[in-house]
Amino acid sequence: MSEIAVRVDHVSKKFRLYHERNQSLKSAIMRGRRSVHEDFWALKDVNFEVPTGSTFGLIGSNGSGKSTLLKCLAKIYYPEKGSISYNGKIAALLEVGSGFHPELSGRENIFLNGSILGMTKKEVTRKFDEIVDFSGVEQFIDQPVKNYSSGMYVRLGFSIAINVNPDILVVDEVLAVGDAEFQEKCSQKFVDFKKDGKTVILVSHAMAAVREMCDHAAWLSHGELVAVGEAEPTIQAYLNSLNQGEGL
Amino acid sequence: MRYLKEVLDSRELLANLTLREIRGQYKRTIFGQLWSLANPLASMLVYTIVFRFILRVSPPAGDPSGLDIFAVWLLCGLLPWTFFATVVTQGMGSVIANAGLVQKVYFPRIVLPLSKVGSVGYNWLFEMGVLVVVLVLCGAFVWPWLLLTVVAMFLLALFAGGLALMLAVANVHFRDTQYFVSIVLQIWMYLTPIIYPISLVEDQSVAYGGLFGTSITLLDIYRLNPLERFVAVFRQLLYDNRWPDPTDLLLCAIWALGAFVIGIAVFRRNEKKLAEAL
Ligand SMILES: Nc1ncnc2c1ncn2[C@@H]1O[C@H](COP(=O)(O)OP(=O)(O)OP(=O)(O)O)[C@@H](O)[C@H]1O
Ligand SMILES: [Mg+2]
Repeated sequence: MSEIAVRVDHVSKKFRLYHERNQSLKSAIMRGRRSVHEDFWALKDVNFEVPTGSTFGLIGSNGSGKSTLLKCLAKIYYPEKGSISYNGKIAALLEVGSGFHPELSGRENIFLNGSILGMTKKEVTRKFDEIVDFSGVEQFIDQPVKNYSSGMYVRLGFSIAINVNPDILVVDEVLAVGDAEFQEKCSQKFVDFKKDGKTVILVSHAMAAVREMCDHAAWLSHGELVAVGEAEPTIQAYLNSLNQGEGL
Repeated sequence: MRYLKEVLDSRELLANLTLREIRGQYKRTIFGQLWSLANPLASMLVYTIVFRFILRVSPPAGDPSGLDIFAVWLLCGLLPWTFFATVVTQGMGSVIANAGLVQKVYFPRIVLPLSKVGSVGYNWLFEMGVLVVVLVLCGAFVWPWLLLTVVAMFLLALFAGGLALMLAVANVHFRDTQYFVSIVLQIWMYLTPIIYPISLVEDQSVAYGGLFGTSITLLDIYRLNPLERFVAVFRQLLYDNRWPDPTDLLLCAIWALGAFVIGIAVFRRNEKKLAEAL
C-alpha cells in the first residue's frame, strides 16, 4: 500500500452560524458592517490518507462531520484551511437521483444525470444497457421517474453513478433504501471496484456492513479525527467508546 | 482561462439542462409549445384594447415598410421585453430552485442560470418565428433583416444572461432580491417604450427643455435605459424594415458585453460559496 488515492491534508471547515435566519437585506443592513455570527468548525484539522485500491469507511456519530468531509472531497464545499489532493478521477454519490426531473422518463433522466455527473453523451449511450440492467427497472424505463418507488429511484441513481467509472468513488449513506437483493448487488460492485484497483470512500452507520466491506476506516468525533487505520481496530475503538458512553 | 475551459467542457451539460427545461415545461399539456404564445397574445390583446382603443396611442407607421398595425408594432417590442424579463426572473431563481443539486453534486454552477437563457430563448425563438410569419402576412419585407435580428437577439440574450448571473448570486445571499427585482421589472417595463412610442417622451422632453439649467434633457436620461435601445433596434429591423441606427446597435453590443463579462466575473468569484450559503 504505497500509493495514495486521496490525501486529506490538515483540512478544517468552518460554518457560520447565524443567530437569526440571515438571508434578508434588512438584517444585513441592521447589523451593519459587524456581522452577528458564530464560527462553527465542523472539521478541525483532519489529516489522513486513503491508499489506492482500498475501501475506506468513515464512521462517527451523528453530526460528527462525515458528510461535511465528503462534500469537501466532492468539491461542493471548500475547506477554509488545508487542502485535498487526488490521484485520479473522483465521483461522489451523496444523494441518489438529485437532478432527476420527475416529469421526464427514466431514459431521459439517465442522459441528464449522466451529464450532470460529467459523462459525455457517447459514454452514456455506450453504457446505457449496463445502467438499466444494473438498476433492474427496465420495465419502467420509459415511465416518468415520479412514478418510481423510492427504492427504484435509488437503484437508477446508483447505477448511473457507478457507471461514471471513477477511480475514486465517494458514497454517503444512500444505499439503505434498496432491498436486500440490490444491497447485495452493490456490495458485489464494491468488490469488483476493489479488484480493479479502485478506491471507495463510504459513510455508513451500519457497522456490520463497514466491517464486511472496508479494509481501512477513519473515526470522526465532533469534527476531529480520533482514529484512522485498519478497519477492525478503528471500528472496535469506536464501538468501545459508545459502550463506555452508555456505561457512564 | 481555465474557468472558460471548464465552462466550455460543460456545454453538453448545459445543452442537457436546457433540454430538461424545454421538455419538462409543457409536459402533460394538450397544447404544448403553443402555450408559449398564450402570454404574449393575452398581453397584446389587453395592451391593444387599453392603449390603442381607450387611450388612443398611435405609434408612427413603419418607415419604409408602411405597416401601421398597433398590435404588430407592440409585439416587436413586447416579445424581446418578455424574453428579457423572464430570463432575469428565472435565471435569478435558478440556483435556489436547484438547491438540492447544488448541495449534492459538483458541476460548474454557471450552467444553471445559463440553461434558463437557453430554454427561455427557445420559446422566444418560437415566438419570434410566429411574429415573422405575421409580419410577412401583413406585407412587411423582413427577409433581409432577419440575420441582423438574430444578432440583436443574441446580444439581448447576453445582456439578460449577465444580469441573471449577478442576480442569481445576490438571491442566494439575500432572498429579498427576487421580490425587489420583480418590482423593478414592472417599473422598468413602463420606462421602456414598449406600449407607447418614444415620440410621446420626446414631446414631453421638449416641453421641459434642459433640466436644472443644464442642457441634459429628459429624453437623454430616458435613453440611458439599455432596453430602450434594444427595443428601438428590434422595431427598426422588424417593423420599419431598415438598417438599425448604428449608435443604438453599438450601445446594445456594449451593454450586452459589459453585463455578460461582469456577470461571469461576479458569478465566478462567488460560485464556490454558493453550496453552503443556500
Ligand atoms: N451548511 C451548513 N451550515 C451550518 N452548519 C452545517 C452545515 N452543514 C453541516 N453543518 C454542521 O456540521 C456538523 C456536521 O454535519 P455533518 O452533516 O457532516 O454530520 P454527519 O457526520 O454526516 O452526521 P450524520 O451521521 O447525521 O449524517 C453538524 O453539526 C451540522 O450542524
Ligand atoms: Mg451525514
